Amino acid sequence: MAKGFMRRFPPLKILTDEQVEAIHRGTLDVLQQTGVLVYNERALNVFKKAGCDVNFETKRVKFPPGLVEECLRKCPSSFRVKARNPKDDLLIGQDNVLFFNFPGTDTVDLDTWEPRSPTKKEHIDLIRVLDALPNVHFLNAYPYFGFSGGVPEVMKEIEGVALRIRNSSKVTIAIANNDIDMFTIRMAKAVGSEIFANPNTSSPLTCYTDQVNACFLAAEYDLPSMIWDGATSGGTAPASLAGAVVLSNAELMPYIVLLQLLKPGARIAVANLVLPQNMTNGAPAFGEIGVSLHNVAFNQVWREYGVPTVSSSCGPTSSKRIDFQLGYQKTMPTLLSALSGSSILQLYSSIYGEITAHPVQAILDDDIAGMIGRFLEGLEVSDESLAIDLINEVGPIPGHYLGKKHTRKWWKKEQFVPRAADRLTYPEWAKTGKKSCIDYARERMEEILSTHKVDPPLTQSQEEEIEKILKEAREYYRKKGMITDAEWESYKKIIEK
Amino acid sequence: MDTEIIEGLKKAIKEYDTEKAANLAKRAVEEKLDPLKVLNAMTVAIREVGDAFGRGDLWLPDLVGAADALQAAMPIIEEEIKRTGAKRESLGTVVAGTVFGDIHSIGKTMVCTLLTAEGFKVHDLGVNIKAEQFVEAIDKYNADILAMSALMTMTAPEQKKVIERLKKEGLRDKVKIMVGGGAITEDFAREIGADGYDPTAPGAVKLARKLIGK
Repeated sequence: MAKGFMRRFPPLKILTDEQVEAIHRGTLDVLQQTGVLVYNERALNVFKKAGCDVNFETKRVKFPPGLVEECLRKCPSSFRVKARNPKDDLLIGQDNVLFFNFPGTDTVDLDTWEPRSPTKKEHIDLIRVLDALPNVHFLNAYPYFGFSGGVPEVMKEIEGVALRIRNSSKVTIAIANNDIDMFTIRMAKAVGSEIFANPNTSSPLTCYTDQVNACFLAAEYDLPSMIWDGATSGGTAPASLAGAVVLSNAELMPYIVLLQLLKPGARIAVANLVLPQNMTNGAPAFGEIGVSLHNVAFNQVWREYGVPTVSSSCGPTSSKRIDFQLGYQKTMPTLLSALSGSSILQLYSSIYGEITAHPVQAILDDDIAGMIGRFLEGLEVSDESLAIDLINEVGPIPGHYLGKKHTRKWWKKEQFVPRAADRLTYPEWAKTGKKSCIDYARERMEEILSTHKVDPPLTQSQEEEIEKILKEAREYYRKKGMITDAEWESYKKIIEK
Repeated sequence: MDTEIIEGLKKAIKEYDTEKAANLAKRAVEEKLDPLKVLNAMTVAIREVGDAFGRGDLWLPDLVGAADALQAAMPIIEEEIKRTGAKRESLGTVVAGTVFGDIHSIGKTMVCTLLTAEGFKVHDLGVNIKAEQFVEAIDKYNADILAMSALMTMTAPEQKKVIERLKKEGLRDKVKIMVGGGAITEDFAREIGADGYDPTAPGAVKLARKLIGK
């Protein structure tokens, strides 16, 4: 079992019970009065059979409140997810807190801070670093969206899943665009791992067919699902944060209802990527305080439902560099989400939005995760930790604690020692080349890349199965016309290599 | 009376009042005001909003609110210009839209609003626009500029399809093409054969002027 962090104190609450109830009532009201658009015939039929008000022409589905509440009750409050190595199995819920990474389209040059497409090696390097870091408990879909050199758009994430499976034993996620989960789910199965199905909502109040199909695949393969909502408050959701919680909840519910109708007791976590809108340029306002207010309220409401939550907005910032702004824009949402009961925090490796990510950032994030994780575990109050006998024994100055057995045992238990932080005194710092945390993280990255090995590597037959599925996927998209002849010519050269 | 309607229309745009803007535009037509004078007043109002946005005094919801009010009045006045055969002066005609498969509208709306404020005649086709719709509109409006937006890496290649379609129809050289959106880079713009790219809305206005030499 992957070692998460256990939160040992009651979670932070920001709402009164009446306010939670008002948000819940509001959600049911929107689902009953306005409902959602569902562009998927199969799902429309399932909803109809379950008693929803379905208009097959306009694709509008309205949900009776009783059905929504019944399906919420069927969601397990905690569940396990199987990895290919039992050391990486996941326990989600039960106050266990896990971490994973946030994606980027590009890597970034650490000297000029210019973004650029990663090479295949850089893509693999990020996967290997994430595999090596102890507090990364599983891997997101696309650490990077593909790599440079001519892989067709539709194949980028399928190739990406193959790279993750080959270079990491940790569980990963199957995104649903263009049916690619039809292939990636089978890849995970081939190596004896589960993979998260990943339906994404579309704001406001719309369910597109690929995302709905992900629920059918989850039911067919009996997979856990992570449902994502990424509304922008002020843009695709109300600017008022309570209204944004109502809207995101109303967008998540149709997927919960569908998943529970298809397979009662289906394992579900809901991921919150709701971000305020930057009203100067329309981009999401990553890392700002509205992110945390929404996360904390969302967590409180979903704790009432007994459905584990994922705080996806912890990772991305608005900074283009690894700097002071990035530090606070990552730490504040991560800490506040962790305190308010998130089961999963999506923190690692991202720099700016969904654009840039880097293994050095992932190493720095490992310290944030370690610190917050340590905080969650709280402090023990026992005869031994109160240390009354010891305090009486040491007495006033010149007594001290440094040489005591109690100190040797307890300091390591109580302190978290960051791996990449500059913790030196001035003279030590001057003598060792005036390094910063970024320098230390770069050194650790080199060390990981030269020593880390995936445990266990794939067997010959697993390798062959992955290759076979890749081949099928290429043929499928060639036939569908999603890989053009010109694309195929350059892609073929990469495959042959 | 004339001044009251015109000043009221300007105020409606600056106060984001869609209904009032449409009603005043209708009254302007009823009262037989010079539609060119009305249009000019509307352009002045939206320019004031655009300038305030540029200075950071107003925010995106204000800009979009004013654009909506402008859009509510514009077709009524344009219809009147057409009916009376008045000669409208503009910097040039722009056809704009977000490409097929992509429903992101904010960046595109910002650019359209600021282009209108600058004095361009803008035909905003909306979002999820197919190549043939762009081509048809360029032909119909005799556009000087095509402005396309795409926010996602999956939809960016759609811009290339539009350009290829224009070539096929023999319209490519009649129109200057500018592209933008979250997924677009300078290199990508060059690669697909666009005439220009800018990452910001005010930059897009400068680019539009440059492209048509004004």
